[in-house]
Amino acid sequence: MEGINGVTGSVDEIMIRTENLCKSYRQHSQYEVRAIYDISVNISKSSFMVFNGPSGSGKTTLLNIIGTLDRPTAGKVFMYGEEITSFSDIALARLRREKIGFIFQDFHLIPRLTSWENVAYPLIPLGAGFTERFERAKFLLEKMGLGDRLEHAPEELSGGQQQRVAIARALINNPEIIIADEPTSNIDDETSAHVRQFLGELNARGVTILVATHDTLFEKIADVTFKMKNGRIV
Amino acid sequence: MNKHFNLLFLATENLLRHRTKTIVVCLCIVAILTPFITAIAISEGVREKSLISVNAGADLYLTFDEFGRNAAVPLKYLDEIKKIFGVTKVTPRIIGRGFLQNKLAVIVGLNKEDIPESISCISGRMFENANEVVVGHELARHFHLNIGDQFSMRCQQRKTFTVVGFFSSDSSIWGSSLIFMSFRDAGELFGKQDVSTDIQIYSLPGHNSEIATDLYDILQNEPYRLQDKHMIGLYVKKGFMLKEGVFSALYLVAFALGVPAILVAAGFGLSERKKEIGIMKATGWQTLEVLELISFEQLLISLMGATIAILLSILWVKGFRGVFIAQFFIAEITMLPKFPLPARFLPLPCLLSFFLAFLMTMVGSVYSSWRASTVSPVVSMK
Ligand SMILES: Nc1ncnc2c1ncn2[C@@H]1O[C@H](COP(=O)(O)OP(=O)(O)OP(=O)(O)O)[C@@H](O)[C@H]1O
Ligand SMILES: [Mg+2]
Repeated sequence: MEGINGVTGSVDEIMIRTENLCKSYRQHSQYEVRAIYDISVNISKSSFMVFNGPSGSGKTTLLNIIGTLDRPTAGKVFMYGEEITSFSDIALARLRREKIGFIFQDFHLIPRLTSWENVAYPLIPLGAGFTERFERAKFLLEKMGLGDRLEHAPEELSGGQQQRVAIARALINNPEIIIADEPTSNIDDETSAHVRQFLGELNARGVTILVATHDTLFEKIADVTFKMKNGRIV
Repeated sequence: MNKHFNLLFLATENLLRHRTKTIVVCLCIVAILTPFITAIAISEGVREKSLISVNAGADLYLTFDEFGRNAAVPLKYLDEIKKIFGVTKVTPRIIGRGFLQNKLAVIVGLNKEDIPESISCISGRMFENANEVVVGHELARHFHLNIGDQFSMRCQQRKTFTVVGFFSSDSSIWGSSLIFMSFRDAGELFGKQDVSTDIQIYSLPGHNSEIATDLYDILQNEPYRLQDKHMIGLYVKKGFMLKEGVFSALYLVAFALGVPAILVAAGFGLSERKKEIGIMKATGWQTLEVLELISFEQLLISLMGATIAILLSILWVKGFRGVFIAQFFIAEITMLPKFPLPARFLPLPCLLSFFLAFLMTMVGSVYSSWRASTVSPVVSMK
């Protein structure tokens, strides 16, 4: 697994490619924070990529831009050779719906919905009926070991359980890519091991996985680990 | 199709989930709409009643003209008018106002043989002899009048009237502060002999223009004014528009206070909503789908608020007789009228108030939701 600067695999396998990505935040007009700077990576289809680095090094920013949740200040992102940074918001939302599943650092579950409703929420605008939504959510939650927590609200669940609900939600649309931001930072070691194992299994079935983490145990199952520092890949 | 159904269903669930907010917004809508619907219903009802009585009334109204106002007509022309071809009946009337102690009463004087048959809602009997009167229920209640009681008016202390009957409370609203007496007594009360406030002319259909020509021959040296039913109807309508105008002005003030309340209530809990919208967008919802959901929520809440407001208005009018609001439209009554108010709940104002509610809640929510769903999800999820 050939690591430095993240060029992996042959060119025809490349799923996502970034070109000189920059993101800076301007505060009080003069003071500029560079969250990431000049990042070019290639991500092959079905690979397991880990972004590692200290707090504030730009991991979240980079994954958000790759996952189309945010737009870069400069640079481009290509998916299957198409420049998605120039897509309209509508096209980006469709892309997220069809291809990308997110697992967020702080879960981002909707507080007033039960676990199964949270998991099935992305299916509502697709016109899926109640039974279909419930069955699919139940199936995934059972896989995550939460078969007995279908009707619980997020505040009635532990951090690890919430994280597993969030993972189930990320999988509901059968995404090609899973983007996980610190999926194990808020949960205990045992659950972390489960999550790592689960992501590994998904990857084995061909899902491309991008993880931002402090957790060094991920490096063992990753195809490539990028070390980040001060907004750059080192 | 399934998608829209899903969104509508989810909107219902969301309203139930955010119960406090739903109730607060609903209350604001009800508070704003109920007076509006009630006022329009009363105004429509009274207008309808007055137009009915105009239609049932005389075909032509003759008065004299003094400085552009209506003035009394001398009775000496009465016989000549009766003889005009096409005239079936001629009724001189005296209509005036006078104080009974501190209360203003409407005095109507008619000859006994001219009393319309429609006046039947009377307890006691109709006046027959001199100085006998029939009194409206509102006045009777205020002064605790009983049959056989005597009183005199402020403008003519020497004349003493005897109460022989009352207009009962289910009679028309116009009867509420009326004193009804013979034409002669009314003339004496106001100190005017041989004149009437107006002369009502009933005619055969289609003869009004010939009658007008003949009247011109009779009255050509006098300043007179002839009005037909249609014109009287227009005056009635115009009068109501004026009253509605006064009400609308007052209402506008209340409205101006109510709208910010709705906006605040609709915006309440928005930060939670903003985050929710961010999550929805991140998991693949389109902006349009988010907005459709929010619009469904506003539609449902407006429908609910407007329905409650209409039901409350009906209760207000029927159960509480339009207390606090009826006096805008019916000058002769006090705060709480003692008789059923005429009211008409037309579909158009009800529909209008629903749209008003929808507009207000949409203004309160859609812009902020649109903002939340068009910035990048990262920003709205914060
Ligand atoms: N909205 C923002 N406005 C201003 N600066 C921001 C914003 N978001 C991130 N930053 C800055 O960008 C830099 C990178 O942040 P980022 O969240 O990507 O780091 P990270 O590697 O994910 O850190 P952590 O491990 O703590 O999650 C930080 O210095 C941060 O202060
Ligand atoms: Mg982070």
